[in-house]
Amino acid sequence: MDDDQGVTAARRRPAVVGAASAFLHRHPRVRLAGLLSAPMLWLAVAYLGSLAVMLVTSLWSVDSFTTQLVRQPTLDNFRTLLTEPVYRTVALRSLGVAALVTVVDAVIALPMAFYMAKVASPRARRLLVAAVLTPLWASYLVKAYAWRTMLAEGGVLNWALAPVGGSGPGFGVAATAITLAYLWLPYMILPVYAGLDRLPDSLLEASGDLGATAGRTFRSVVLPLVLPAVVAGSIFTFSLSLGDYITVKIVGGSSQLFANVIYDNIGVAGNLPFAAAAALFPVLAILLYLTLVRRTGALDNL
Amino acid sequence: MTLSRRARMLLRAVTAAGLAVIYVPLLVVLVNSFNTSRTFGWPPRGFTLHWWGDTLDNPGARAALLTSVEIAAAATVLALVLGTMAAFAVQRYAWFGRDAVSFLIVLPIALPGIVTGIALNAAFTAGGIPFGFLTVVVAHATFCIVVVHNNVLARLRRLGTTLEEASADLGADTFQTFALVTFPQLRSALLAGGLLAFALSFDEIVVTQFTISPGLQTLPVWIFANLFRPNQAPVVNVVAAILVLFSILPIWASQKLSGDPAGGRL
Repeated sequence: MDDDQGVTAARRRPAVVGAASAFLHRHPRVRLAGLLSAPMLWLAVAYLGSLAVMLVTSLWSVDSFTTQLVRQPTLDNFRTLLTEPVYRTVALRSLGVAALVTVVDAVIALPMAFYMAKVASPRARRLLVAAVLTPLWASYLVKAYAWRTMLAEGGVLNWALAPVGGSGPGFGVAATAITLAYLWLPYMILPVYAGLDRLPDSLLEASGDLGATAGRTFRSVVLPLVLPAVVAGSIFTFSLSLGDYITVKIVGGSSQLFANVIYDNIGVAGNLPFAAAAALFPVLAILLYLTLVRRTGALDNL
Repeated sequence: MTLSRRARMLLRAVTAAGLAVIYVPLLVVLVNSFNTSRTFGWPPRGFTLHWWGDTLDNPGARAALLTSVEIAAAATVLALVLGTMAAFAVQRYAWFGRDAVSFLIVLPIALPGIVTGIALNAAFTAGGIPFGFLTVVVAHATFCIVVVHNNVLARLRRLGTTLEEASADLGADTFQTFALVTFPQLRSALLAGGLLAFALSFDEIVVTQFTISPGLQTLPVWIFANLFRPNQAPVVNVVAAILVLFSILPIWASQKLSGDPAGGRL
């Protein structure tokens, strides 16, 4: 009898643990608060706090003699950004490249995703999805570097085009656009494929039964239904392109994009307030883009 | 849809061409690491393992590799804890502000890396925190939380709560249920999410550049610093090849584990 009790007592956990467990079981709110505490401390306080500090820093300046931060609010950084023509040129070029990259990726992604979702056999489909998406995670820097070896003077592209008398574009804006389109392509294929996968085959068959050609079905049925997914992909390609400076450094030659303005002010010039002010341009551009595309329902496709 | 033979062939050709474009540059990097030539030129002149040996003896690259592994491991552990907690909070409870929190979790990868980098740089500067190992770990953990969160969230959604309720009915307390019922079912999702987080941190460069001290180098930072030095080209090629392998292997494992060809959720 005593022995039995001893065994049960040993199996039982300390009373505190039992009490804590019972308390948690009865108070789901406390459980929730406990679960949220650490992630929220990290993301809401530390991360959002950092973004707020960035905003405040953009109003500061740097003493040109001592290179010390001057913590006095001024709008000088924004005035410079808005009035110096060079920043406007670079900003417009960045938007242009981002738009071009987005269009190129959409044009490549649509037929690929369509083949994967609607034509390939289920087995081939799984393999294709894995094949397309695995490089998405492969090192971004190395992929940009790979294009340096593709586009260089004695590179793969020139070698491959030489027999037909052609040559690659060399380093410059075109090389930057090609490399960026390459880097972000999987980000476009993924949502477009998911969108096409959700599209019922019966719609396509109905369209065919009603006499539409494949082209007509694509224009009138597939495209309108898959558009939100394309827009969802474009959010990635657009925003990632606007934030890139590495690719420009590696294949861009001398033509800079806007993110280089930000990077150079941190690295070479050591002007953090100006960099913080400049960083607001991609943020505003992306927020504006998000508001524009909100109505297409693209945000539910992310 | 009834596609003509020609349309099918065309779609197949476009897909094959697209895959070729995706893989050829990566293969070129791999092939180049065995190129005998000291300067870059295509096609390669011959095959050698010399540069691989050189790289393994290169102290800078080795130190950078070690730093990268340490940072990725630390960031992954933090992301596993925080991401799992957040996933439970979002999936298992309905509450006001849940959508806002979901958005907040995605924000560090939704915003371009340069914005996250500048923001953290400004915060560390304002707080007088010196840049170094820890600042990079904090920065990496911030954008790694989302991959763990998404993997665990997807698993929790699929599991439902019936087994946990059965466990409670059989007399297990909250902690026992978690340790004996919930956690074992989450294990492979945690592994998949952890692998993705590790890969994400391992090859990250933008946020890293803004939060690292000049004396410290991760592998991508080392590559970027040596990229434009002609006499380092062969070693950079090998390190680039290593980085491709190191970032693809965890993904491959993660795809196997999660049973999702997309390699878990983005």
